[in-house]
Amino acid sequence: MSDSILVIGGGIAGINCAMNAAKYGTKVYLVDDTASIGGMMARLDKTFPTNDCSICIEAPQMYEVDNHENIEILTNTEVRKVKKVNGSFKVKLVRKAKYVDEEKCTGCGACAEACPVSVPDSLDGKVGGMRKLISMAFPQAVPNMVTVDPSCRFGEMRKAGACIGECAVDCSQCRECPIALCVKACEKEGKKAIVLWQSNKNLSIDVKSIVVATGIKNAQPVGDLLGYDKYENVITNTEFERLMNAGGPTAGEIIRPSDKKHAKKIAWIQCVGRGLAEGKGTPYCSKICCMISTKQTIITKEHDADAETTIFYNDLKAYGKGFWDFYRKAVENGVKYVRGRPYEVFEDSETKNLIIRYENLDCGELKKEEVELLVLATGIVPNDRNKRLAKVLKVKLDELGYFKEKDPLLASLETNVEGIYLCGGATGPIDIAESVVQATAASLKAVSFHS
Amino acid sequence: MSEEIRIGVFVCDCGTNIAGVVDVLEVTEYARGLENVVMADEGKWSCSVDYLTKMKELIQQHNINRVVIASCTPRTHEPLFKRTIKEAGINPYLLEFVSIREQVSWVHMKEPEIATLKAKDLIKMGVAKAALLEEGQEIRLPVKTDCLIIGGGMAGMNAALSVADQGFNAFLVEKEPQLGGILNNVCFISHDNQKTPAARVVQTKADQVHAHPNITVYTHTGIEAVEGYIGNYKVKLKSNGDGSTNDLDISTMIVATGMKELEPEGQFEYGNDPRVITQLQLDDMLRKKQLEDIKNAVMISCVNSKNETRGCCNIGCHTSVKNAVALKHLRKDANIYILYRDMSLIKEEGTAQQSAKRLGVKFLRFPDDRYPEVRNENGNLMVKVYDLLVGREFELPSDLLVLTTAFKGDETVEQIRGHLKVSANPDRFFQESHVKLGPLEFATDGISLAGCAKAPMTFKESCEEGIGSAMKASIPMNRGYIETEGIVAHIDLTDCTQCGLCSKRCPYNAITVDKEENPEVLQALCKGCGLCAADCPAECISIVHYSDDQVFAQVEAALEENPEKKIVAFVCHWCALGGVDMAGVSRLQYPSNARLIRVMCSARVSLKMMQRPFELGAAGVLVAGCEFPTCHYIEGNYAAEKRLKRAKRRMAKAGYDPEKLWNIWCSAADGPKFATTMRTMVKELKLD
Repeated sequence: MSDSILVIGGGIAGINCAMNAAKYGTKVYLVDDTASIGGMMARLDKTFPTNDCSICIEAPQMYEVDNHENIEILTNTEVRKVKKVNGSFKVKLVRKAKYVDEEKCTGCGACAEACPVSVPDSLDGKVGGMRKLISMAFPQAVPNMVTVDPSCRFGEMRKAGACIGECAVDCSQCRECPIALCVKACEKEGKKAIVLWQSNKNLSIDVKSIVVATGIKNAQPVGDLLGYDKYENVITNTEFERLMNAGGPTAGEIIRPSDKKHAKKIAWIQCVGRGLAEGKGTPYCSKICCMISTKQTIITKEHDADAETTIFYNDLKAYGKGFWDFYRKAVENGVKYVRGRPYEVFEDSETKNLIIRYENLDCGELKKEEVELLVLATGIVPNDRNKRLAKVLKVKLDELGYFKEKDPLLASLETNVEGIYLCGGATGPIDIAESVVQATAASLKAVSFHS
Repeated sequence: MSEEIRIGVFVCDCGTNIAGVVDVLEVTEYARGLENVVMADEGKWSCSVDYLTKMKELIQQHNINRVVIASCTPRTHEPLFKRTIKEAGINPYLLEFVSIREQVSWVHMKEPEIATLKAKDLIKMGVAKAALLEEGQEIRLPVKTDCLIIGGGMAGMNAALSVADQGFNAFLVEKEPQLGGILNNVCFISHDNQKTPAARVVQTKADQVHAHPNITVYTHTGIEAVEGYIGNYKVKLKSNGDGSTNDLDISTMIVATGMKELEPEGQFEYGNDPRVITQLQLDDMLRKKQLEDIKNAVMISCVNSKNETRGCCNIGCHTSVKNAVALKHLRKDANIYILYRDMSLIKEEGTAQQSAKRLGVKFLRFPDDRYPEVRNENGNLMVKVYDLLVGREFELPSDLLVLTTAFKGDETVEQIRGHLKVSANPDRFFQESHVKLGPLEFATDGISLAGCAKAPMTFKESCEEGIGSAMKASIPMNRGYIETEGIVAHIDLTDCTQCGLCSKRCPYNAITVDKEENPEVLQALCKGCGLCAADCPAECISIVHYSDDQVFAQVEAALEENPEKKIVAFVCHWCALGGVDMAGVSRLQYPSNARLIRVMCSARVSLKMMQRPFELGAAGVLVAGCEFPTCHYIEGNYAAEKRLKRAKRRMAKAGYDPEKLWNIWCSAADGPKFATTMRTMVKELKLD
């Protein structure tokens, strides 16, 4: 019987789960379906309530799991089939091709420089980060290597100026490529790391237990909710986080999308999409958004003490240790908190400023406010992968779409399948510290499970 | 060591990443001519399997005993090269890493000659340090399998069971006569919109605990004394009953001392009128079925919470909704009001509020700065409250007034924190090692933390923390040892004045003072930040791989030529060097004047290190550490900041311009900040 465990999801929960299990002495497969481990935390600028730089505290942990002899990291990998045989889980994985040889690529970036096509980085949304068709997920990516955009590899980016795609045969038929500029650049560096003919690989592993750490997702505003789809200067709080980040698309300049000018007057709207009909918004309180916005206003003030910042909120969730002081710090720094319910947003077509109409809940009056940039705190929703993965694992989801605990009171983090455990955003909206706690608890359950 | 120093230098091309800018051939040739260097080799890709094999062959062929690698960045590649030289038979601490890609070729792309010059300088510095390197080794401390759990509430019981289930011994100490903690006063637990009697949950867990062969339970017992460190604690227990004592040998500890309600004495008639009770007292009355005919009940939220001294109690809103529903079930036509500031209800808890509303519980929001007033009117308790939404005052009669009050850590905390040398806040809640990534442990190895001893939390969170803290305690117990990297402090007692500063300053309790007042480093607990070494007035502490001699050798090598053009920059490994690397990856171009010296923490940089470059004629000195409040060593950067102020005063006295001593606190994401600082420094020091 196998003594290894599988951790699905390489965000901060998965990393901590794997790390603890590995230190305990157990062999761990850490699987993530994106190109790098790191998850949502790797894209954040700061963490509340201390304003620690997110990547500064996460990257050392990423390097640590990368270098740990008990951990095998499998990125770009999906869990396809899980079957229990003789007390072990037989897990079928698919390693989706990165079209790059993981052993050979050193992450030097010469290929990306040579690549002629830049496309919007979908993870940066409206704040406009660009990436090349061959690129690194982010500078601290683990493994530190590039990935070829499958759309380029499959010839769909020819119109956009890609160098490949009009061959008579598909890349899978060749074993060298005389035309791809990335391949040439790599060869010029003396490497042959780019392998456009690479195919997906099936992989089969045996593990004694599984931890689901698939994380959370930020909700996208539905349709033209509060002008998100219509007006350039309405963005989500995830997008704003990228704006603040020195490693983000604007190198940390808080500039608005329409004219790339520094926004001097910014508003945040909390609970966006809350209470909308099913499938359209977030039907519950997501717990962490109040503190995210508080953090964003404090950092905005650090960037520009004169910036005017207003948060429209309903009930302030300052639930954790140090959170209330964090809120007070924001207030002391001049952040305006308005208990109010914005119901309409208009754009001034000339200035591209936004006019927010809202009901002030402290006095019941209808008011309006004009800002240069509007940030929507849209809440947290279950990850898209949950449904498919739940089916594969035969684990139940709750009515909201998060993984369901069998008995939350007496059997924490256990599921209806013996030997499968949960942690982090897979269980619901959660902050980093709580994810780490759950990950540590789940790692104990996983390493000590004997069927 | 009297053996001959034989240094091998390996310079990497990194394809054209380095070789495209730096003349690597010339640099390699230059390295070959440096003192103690017996061979230098250029590699196209030093990290490729082929070259690593070649590297090992060259090391053995030339009998090399020190290695300098000049390539990318130690942050990503040091472990690989350490492994390689170890395979070649060299102690891995005899490697010095020089960064000529992130610090040279990527940031001085348009100045190949200057870049080549800088690369030579950096290699010269590396070679100078390498000559002085000494062997190091990972340090192990044996850890047996006896775990002490302080506190027998939900967190503690979960911890004990999790530890015991793995075959380790758990010693569970509870000061009350029975297990269960605060939950013993709770009527039922509500989760996922279901109700479970708390007594049933406590009983189930307590039965499991008592029946477990690996758990020894000490109820009605306190901690009398604790001595020692991980793997080697001597703990004395004392019965709160007959005063008998018990001595235990303990390997690891878990602190799960729970919390207490903060009784609002004198507020809202509490203490004067028996009808005014706290939420926990209500729970207890519900549990004992002492309440029957409550027609009018009012609950006031945030009593002593969310004010100048204290934050949100985290569980009050949820508890008040739960108990309001319970009162409604006792009497259908009861008038129940919850007076609140913010309803802090998360996920399913929101649904619970909806069902409470459907049952007729009224929610009424009052302003943050205008709490309800309570008075006794002819024997009737009246609550006057300003309803924010309606915009006027109401007076509510109340047969029962329930205060949702704040919490404090247990009263034993003061004593326990003294025993364990850990910190707690004014509300007696223990301080975890890192708010985000170290929620289950203290800075001191071997002691974990769980549940409401840290902050008020829900039942479910406490259970998870109990299990998680058990994992933290189990890791060293399962391995049988703890191990630390060999970058640790050594104290030479020859010149020691027994001032005790090192022991006081160590953030990890890794320096003890013995009976003769001599300090001793428990190396397995030392993290190698170097704060003690930099502060030691007698200069008798050295840090492996970052000794004074080694750092000064780097400084001297850097300033051998044209010191007046150069800036010596001490850069912390964790964040500031991350920022430097980020500037490199982003190809931010900046002036080449700085010569970087890596230290593990900015706190390692002593007053002498800050001043030495000026004595050698340097144009400027930069100390770069983590951006506040982040610090890999808890608060090394704060110590560095204080020391910088002292250094400036000292420099002025010594006749140097203190304005030439710079510092930045730079995050690992902030490449632009480092590049900008370089530009500004060069401009202000008039080096351009």
